[in-house]
Amino acid sequence: MKYFFSALILLLSNMALASQLDWQAISDKAKGQTVYFFAWGGSNEINNYLRWANKSLQAQYGVTLKHVKVSDISESISQLLAEKTAKKNQNGHIDMVWINGENFKSMKQHQLLGNAFAKQLPNWPFVDKTLPVNSDFAEPTLGLEAPWGVGQLVFIYDKNTITTPPTSFADLLTYAQQHPQKISYPKPPAFHGTSFLKAALLELSNNNQLLYQAVTKNTFQRISAPLWSYLDKLHAVAWQKGQQFPTNGSETLQLLDDKQLDIAISFNPNEVISAQANGTLAKSTATYAMQAGALSNIHFLAIPWNANAREGALVAINFLLSPEAQSRKGDLTIWGDPTVLQKQYVTGSAKNTTLFKSIAEPHPSWQAALEAEWQTRYGH
Amino acid sequence: MFKSPFSSASSSFNTMLLLAIIICFAPLLPALLGLLSAAFAYFPALGLNEFSLLAFKQLILWPGLLDSVLLSLFITLVSTFLAALLSFSILQSMWQSKHWKWIESLLAPILGLPHVAFAIGFVFLFSPSGLFSRFVVLIMGESNAETWSLVHDQYGLGLIILLTLKEIPFILLMSLSLLKQLNLKQTFQTAHSLGYSTQQCWQKIIFVQWLVKIRFSLFAVATYGLSVVDVALIIGPTKPYPLAVLVWQWFNHADLSHYSIAGAGALLLLILAIFTLLCIRVIEWLVTCKWRSWLSSGRYCLPLPGRLTVYICYIVSLLIIPILILWSLTFRWPFPALFPRVWSFSYWSDELTYMSEYINNSVGIALISASLALLFAIIIHEFNSRRTRGRYGFYIPDILIALPMLAPQLSLLFGLQITTLLVPKPYYYLWVIWAHVVFAFPYIYLALNGAYKSYDKRLDMVALSLGMQPFKVWWTIKRPQIMPAILIAWAVGMSVSLAQYLPTIMLGAGRIVTITTEAVALASGQQRRTSAIYALMQTLLPFMFFLFAVVVGRYYSIKNNQYFLARTK
Repeated sequence: MKYFFSALILLLSNMALASQLDWQAISDKAKGQTVYFFAWGGSNEINNYLRWANKSLQAQYGVTLKHVKVSDISESISQLLAEKTAKKNQNGHIDMVWINGENFKSMKQHQLLGNAFAKQLPNWPFVDKTLPVNSDFAEPTLGLEAPWGVGQLVFIYDKNTITTPPTSFADLLTYAQQHPQKISYPKPPAFHGTSFLKAALLELSNNNQLLYQAVTKNTFQRISAPLWSYLDKLHAVAWQKGQQFPTNGSETLQLLDDKQLDIAISFNPNEVISAQANGTLAKSTATYAMQAGALSNIHFLAIPWNANAREGALVAINFLLSPEAQSRKGDLTIWGDPTVLQKQYVTGSAKNTTLFKSIAEPHPSWQAALEAEWQTRYGH
Repeated sequence: MFKSPFSSASSSFNTMLLLAIIICFAPLLPALLGLLSAAFAYFPALGLNEFSLLAFKQLILWPGLLDSVLLSLFITLVSTFLAALLSFSILQSMWQSKHWKWIESLLAPILGLPHVAFAIGFVFLFSPSGLFSRFVVLIMGESNAETWSLVHDQYGLGLIILLTLKEIPFILLMSLSLLKQLNLKQTFQTAHSLGYSTQQCWQKIIFVQWLVKIRFSLFAVATYGLSVVDVALIIGPTKPYPLAVLVWQWFNHADLSHYSIAGAGALLLLILAIFTLLCIRVIEWLVTCKWRSWLSSGRYCLPLPGRLTVYICYIVSLLIIPILILWSLTFRWPFPALFPRVWSFSYWSDELTYMSEYINNSVGIALISASLALLFAIIIHEFNSRRTRGRYGFYIPDILIALPMLAPQLSLLFGLQITTLLVPKPYYYLWVIWAHVVFAFPYIYLALNGAYKSYDKRLDMVALSLGMQPFKVWWTIKRPQIMPAILIAWAVGMSVSLAQYLPTIMLGAGRIVTITTEAVALASGQQRRTSAIYALMQTLLPFMFFLFAVVVGRYYSIKNNQYFLARTK
């Protein structure tokens, strides 16, 4: 019995040691490394922010951050899977990814993530633990990814066009019927498009709690039925008569500015401020969320198991979690992405962000099921 | 006895020849093998251990596959047909007319516009909020704002128009040298003396000869239209997607099981390409051999809109640059204002700080790959030009040389990319440069064709018989004469390499960023101001190399002329 306990203690302390990062050694090793960061690259604001991050990282830590712009991060996951199957366990081409939800679940499930790291980062204590930073779409993160920012599904309209915007999906349909060809949403499986489906389904099913459990054939058919009849009605009066959809969220913003659409979709509650500052939207545009609340999630940073520059990636993630980097990210004129740090640590306009009432994401398995069904019904 | 300018006995020439063959053609083999093994689900490195036809079953059952296939065929055949017909109508109505000079001199710069930049500019002109709509609203009022769209439209009409407009200058350029081979002057004289008009002569006599000779160019146009991904992402239909885009999406799908479907799809793309080429060949045969009665059935000839086509094609192409400049300097440009409301240089100044790295990548890869491909093209031309002597049974057939141009790029790259998984260490730059060499090679070879055909081989023979070393003969006698063509071919190779999107993305694993990959990324992210900047840079780079080639080439021809003038005095 005694042996058992001492063995257990030894084991536990070993585990604690193994999970304790030697930060000095890491930052020494990181010096001179180039981190290839695969992240969505369709927004000037985000791209410019990452350019700033690279400059600061080079100056402060000697780490180079290269933003590899992808149109959908799932592309990178297929490449990682191919490398995993081909047993390429070293010298991987991806050092760091920007993910959440279904993609995180897929990476975790296929063991594409290395050791847990998030809670050992020196900047972890600053993180706001009242946010659901330890689960990603209800999937426990286990420290395999570090939170980066908060996303909320919001809508943007022009006050000169609409006086009171529709604040429920039912009202949205009525609006679309009164204003044909003026409403649309990004084509799933684009991130914003699938999120639109999920938010609509949550409202149409009266927040059915089964949406927060793994999907089954039976529950899917029963619960999703109102969504499809809703979409049938919406598409009949939608932009381009539902024969065409915007390819992503940023296209809805452009179409709003082009007066093609009356309502645009974004995952950043402050997007309209930075878009106005960059000249891409009119000063008369404003953001709102549905009355029931905004579908909310946290987006994360993770490191693949075969990363070539793991130390550099750790340093980069730690930097991106620093009050300095988070304050700049939250700066309303720069990117405006809400911070994941406790408010007292951030400075400037990042402090002023107030989040909308939040609705939790459904279980990630619903995502693939909704996308597949949408594809069969409307995708071709 | 005639000896090749590069001595046939020289072992260094043979080594170079072997190297050229290995580098330019050998990748086609793993490309095909990789494609087949993925499609038939036998690729142990990816955990696929048993041959199966499952991928084909999944492919056939994919919702809307038939729609995508038909759409792709429709876009390809219609754009190829229109490009051929309209190019011919331009030749018929404008050839050697008083405007011909400016048509010909504007050909190169218009052709030099990269497809991606052209597509980005085309969207700015013809989307529902494009410049064209803004004019419509100005004239007819806001209530008449367009609801139809040429961007991402259901039937791919926008893509068809873009491909047609973009390929007309290419076919015209290819026709220039073809028409020189035909005895046009005499043909016209004979036809006129029999009372046929010039127009009738074009349609009844020249068309048939032209069509047979332009065949390969039409093949290249068709394959490009069938397999294009970058331009289709910017402007092509999304519901359904063309097959090439669908394959590209499967290839990028997060679920590895889609690899096999992508493989099967890429194979289907290859089969469709062969089918399309057969279609074109059959149409050609029907028109020129089977149903040729229209050739001798009288004087009726179709009125073809040559002049109008030239105007449309040239005006649209020439509007691309100004609209790109406008958007790149825009801060606010709300719809339906005709001009930007607020101008700004800030997007330029932001991008210029970061652009140098992408320019270095683009130009570095292009310099290495175009120069290598040029070297190999010269070596293979030298080798092939001997076959006329009848002493060598072996030569490199044209079809093999043109293969990278005639096979769908996506299919080849899919096979290559999957093969690279077998190599334990990543060599991204090596693979990207190699792929650029393979794809630039046929264009460079084609661009050298004319110079090699018209070169007077007797000059070589005289020099050799006077005892000059073979390489010296080539260097001091042949090279200066064909130098203008070599320079142009090199610039063509540079422009082909600079415009490559798929090889750079797929084999560089996204790590290698060039001006072109950046332009596509920004354009698909709907970032109008920055994508305009990259589209302009993408246009400017090849233009600079063409300019260089023309200026230095002119210097060489002046020098050659002076040399001969001095000798004849």
